[in-house]
Amino acid sequence: MMTEVSMLIDVAKCIGCRGCQVACKQWNQRPAEKTKFTGTYQNPPRLSANTWTLIQFIEPEDYDENPRWLFRKQQCHHCVDAPCEQVCPTGAIKKLENGIVYINQSICTGCKYCVEVCPFDIPQFDRASGTVRKCWMCLDRVKNGLEPACATTCPTGAVSFGSRTGMLAVARERQNILEKQGFSTRIYGKDELGGQHVMYLLPEKASIYGLPEAPRKPTEKIFWRWLLGVIPGMAILVAIFAYLFKQRSASDTAASDAKSGGE
Amino acid sequence: MKITRRQFLKLTGVTAFATIGIFKLEAIQAKAEELRLRIRYAKQTTTICPYCAVGCGEIVSVSNGKVINIEGDPDHPINEGSLCSKGSALYQVANNDLRLTKVKYRAPGSAYWEEKSWNWAIDRISSRIKETRDAALSDGRKVNRIDSLAAIGGAALDNEECYLYSKFMRALGVVYIEHQARI
Repeated sequence: MMTEVSMLIDVAKCIGCRGCQVACKQWNQRPAEKTKFTGTYQNPPRLSANTWTLIQFIEPEDYDENPRWLFRKQQCHHCVDAPCEQVCPTGAIKKLENGIVYINQSICTGCKYCVEVCPFDIPQFDRASGTVRKCWMCLDRVKNGLEPACATTCPTGAVSFGSRTGMLAVARERQNILEKQGFSTRIYGKDELGGQHVMYLLPEKASIYGLPEAPRKPTEKIFWRWLLGVIPGMAILVAIFAYLFKQRSASDTAASDAKSGGE
Repeated sequence: MKITRRQFLKLTGVTAFATIGIFKLEAIQAKAEELRLRIRYAKQTTTICPYCAVGCGEIVSVSNGKVINIEGDPDHPINEGSLCSKGSALYQVANNDLRLTKVKYRAPGSAYWEEKSWNWAIDRISSRIKETRDAALSDGRKVNRIDSLAAIGGAALDNEECYLYSKFMRALGVVYIEHQARI
């Protein structure tokens, strides 16, 4: 049994250098995107099939009273109770023993159920390949004893990587330090969606960082989707059977007619 | 076409097994493929990041004479494996479609760049250097410096290239050895 790996993102330590963004592209060989300046340093503006991690530059609503510039590394949370894995009809999305949720590109059919079901808007559809892509926590590196590219490159130690228990211990230690400095902190991902393998240490409310306060699986949606898939499927099956049997009985009667005619 | 019940069942079974077989095989192959490290057979050498004065160490992986990966050197005392966005992007200094691979020359007063050969460029540069040096050294005094030449280094030169560059310029007697990023 492999130990559960985990990533801790200490957003208070992040300086927004975006080294992780570039390292991710470099290691995973994703091409760059052409973008326009939109008034923020956040670039590209959102995640895409070629951008698996992104530093969000946040100026909160109460910026005028309490000016602060916040950075959060957006990436796949690798949930234990992963909604994307549960809706995947082909089994392309797999939850591995070490906790990494990864999409097998050769099985993925690009149905985009996972895109719709993810509470964090992480999986992104790739028009070029017709599949969905997302962060895979550099599974090849992890399996070969290296840290993921983003954790290796982070100059301030905002992104750290290790066993889940180890990362939780580090998070609690940092929590003590930040609490002493007067921040009310939260370890986001400790229990959310069954616990996540990417945990954030947030010194402010989760909603300020663009995270849902209590992420939920949109289960109802899945059920209706499922039903919509099953009903036409059944109809097609019934139609095939009906056609085959009808043809057969027709040919039988024709054969018996011919027989009776010959007599 | 007439299909008996037996034939129908046979066909269904064969199709189902074939489908499972294809998908399963493909899945196993894909998994084995992806989990091997991309740089496993690459030759690794260390270098120093060319950009700023911090001097982070980097590992360059070379396979078949091509740079395939550059990342932070965990054994380097300065950065311990970490890199900023510029250092992480070093890979595209080596592999870039936009990189100039031929000599471009713009004549004085011209608005266009023309393509020239390397031999032409080196001859031209050396003759101009000689001219300038001779003119500056011709006033009869013995000096060890040239005021009429200046050198501008590039941002993508690494440690060793900078060493060679400054050594060469000092040999010529150039005093104004500058770096492009400071101008």
